[in-house]
Amino acid sequence: MAENRIITRCITKAKGMAITTMLLSMAFAFPSKKIKVYMVGDSTMCLYPTKQLPINGWGMPFANYFDSTVRIDNRARGGRSTRTFLSEGRWQPIADSLEEGDYVLIQFGHNDESSQPQYADRYTPVPDYKTNLIKFITETRSKKAIPLLITPVSRRNFDRQGNAKETHVEYTKAVFEIAYQYKVPVIDLDKMSRELYQQMGPDRAKWMFMELDSAEHPNYPVGRHDNTHFNEFGARRMAELVINDMKQQHIALAEHIVTGTNKSNVNNAAK
Amino acid sequence: MIRAKLSFLLLPLMSLLWTPQEKIKVYLVGDSTMADKEVKAYPETGWGMPFSAFFNETVTVDNRAKNGRSTKSFIAEQRWQAVMDQLKEGDYILIQFGHNDEVPTKANYTPEDQFAANLVRFITESRSRKAIPVLITPVARRKFDIEGKIQETHAIYAAILRKVAEEQKTPLIDLDKESQQLLQQFGPEDSKLLFNYLAPGQNPNYPDGRQDDTHFNELGARKMAEIVLADIRALKLGLADRIVISNLKIK
Repeated sequence: MAENRIITRCITKAKGMAITTMLLSMAFAFPSKKIKVYMVGDSTMCLYPTKQLPINGWGMPFANYFDSTVRIDNRARGGRSTRTFLSEGRWQPIADSLEEGDYVLIQFGHNDESSQPQYADRYTPVPDYKTNLIKFITETRSKKAIPLLITPVSRRNFDRQGNAKETHVEYTKAVFEIAYQYKVPVIDLDKMSRELYQQMGPDRAKWMFMELDSAEHPNYPVGRHDNTHFNEFGARRMAELVINDMKQQHIALAEHIVTGTNKSNVNNAAK
Repeated sequence: MIRAKLSFLLLPLMSLLWTPQEKIKVYLVGDSTMADKEVKAYPETGWGMPFSAFFNETVTVDNRAKNGRSTKSFIAEQRWQAVMDQLKEGDYILIQFGHNDEVPTKANYTPEDQFAANLVRFITESRSRKAIPVLITPVARRKFDIEGKIQETHAIYAAILRKVAEEQKTPLIDLDKESQQLLQQFGPEDSKLLFNYLAPGQNPNYPDGRQDDTHFNELGARKMAEIVLADIRALKLGLADRIVISNLKIK
């Protein structure tokens, strides 16, 4: 009996190895290289763990709308400017692993522009900001990968007349200057998001941000009132703006955005 | 001596306080308004999805809710039995049906008396395994009259749930009523922010857009889950002791 079992196990093992070898050779015969899309940026773009929900970076829902040929690798980190992203060694591993046809989506500015003394650790003056963007662009291109610049998504800031104010003036302008100089497509998320806030108005726009009262969500026992960071809903609206602008600009990556088959009309009763 | 005596008294007391919580499961049984969604259906979101983030590591939320199911079809497809087969002492079962039971034209229609009988069965069988059933009235649909007043959308079936809960002395979360109150606060226009409302061309999954007054988006689903959580606290269910305690200092 025991002997039988050992023999069976050996056979199973041999079978397993044969299958593995077969699969490996198939992988070489039919290379299925995925397009990697690296996201580099700050807290408005990054991933968050469950214990921090419902905060969402817009990179989280963004990853849900591509077909299986694309892999989104969100390397954005809260609190990072172009300068600290580089100095902490976060860029180099990306530059090293980039392959031809990959994409790098670059959205910085929120922390680069914070010139108050308590943010000295991250502040990056405009000239340095530009130099760093150029480094991202040239090193991406040296690997035959494709950089896309994204202007920093707007903060929710309305004047008394209810007009959505520009919140990243200088840094958005710097993105455009570099984009023009280096012929990089720009996704003007700063402008598109501001237009969306304007269309919704000061109060309704709040529903896209981390606005929680103290009793609402156990992750935020003292509540939160935040005009910079998005909740799940706001993050998805921002992702939609980026996705639709990529389509409009005919950026090749947009060919890999899914086309859903869900109907527009829905039975009044639940499905 | 005194110290020795004190520790003799304190030790058993402290061990009582420090007993680690047993791991439990919270089963969610219900319909599409509660269910997990496939990525291709996003941003449609069932309220069970954000709900699972509310608890500490001793709780596993197991969302068995399925689109289109009534109590009748949930039983007929052996989905109820599958939960019973795994249910353990101390587990919770959150039960929310009605959306599909109440529609006479649907294949899954469950007549009123059958609906009540199915609920009683869920309660009895849960309790026979020393698990804790909680009944939840069906979350409201977005329906306002011309004066902007929210309308009842589950009057009869929600009433059956309330009656069964009372007769069976089962905790009840009146999500129908409380979600109506929330929708009223938002009003006819802004309440669309909670549902799967999408303009044509807005979202890749819905090329022609969507106007759905039953199914939630991420925000609506989370708001509904927050109502359920508030009620779990208000009912003083043991489950409330397992709500996650945040160490986030940021405001």
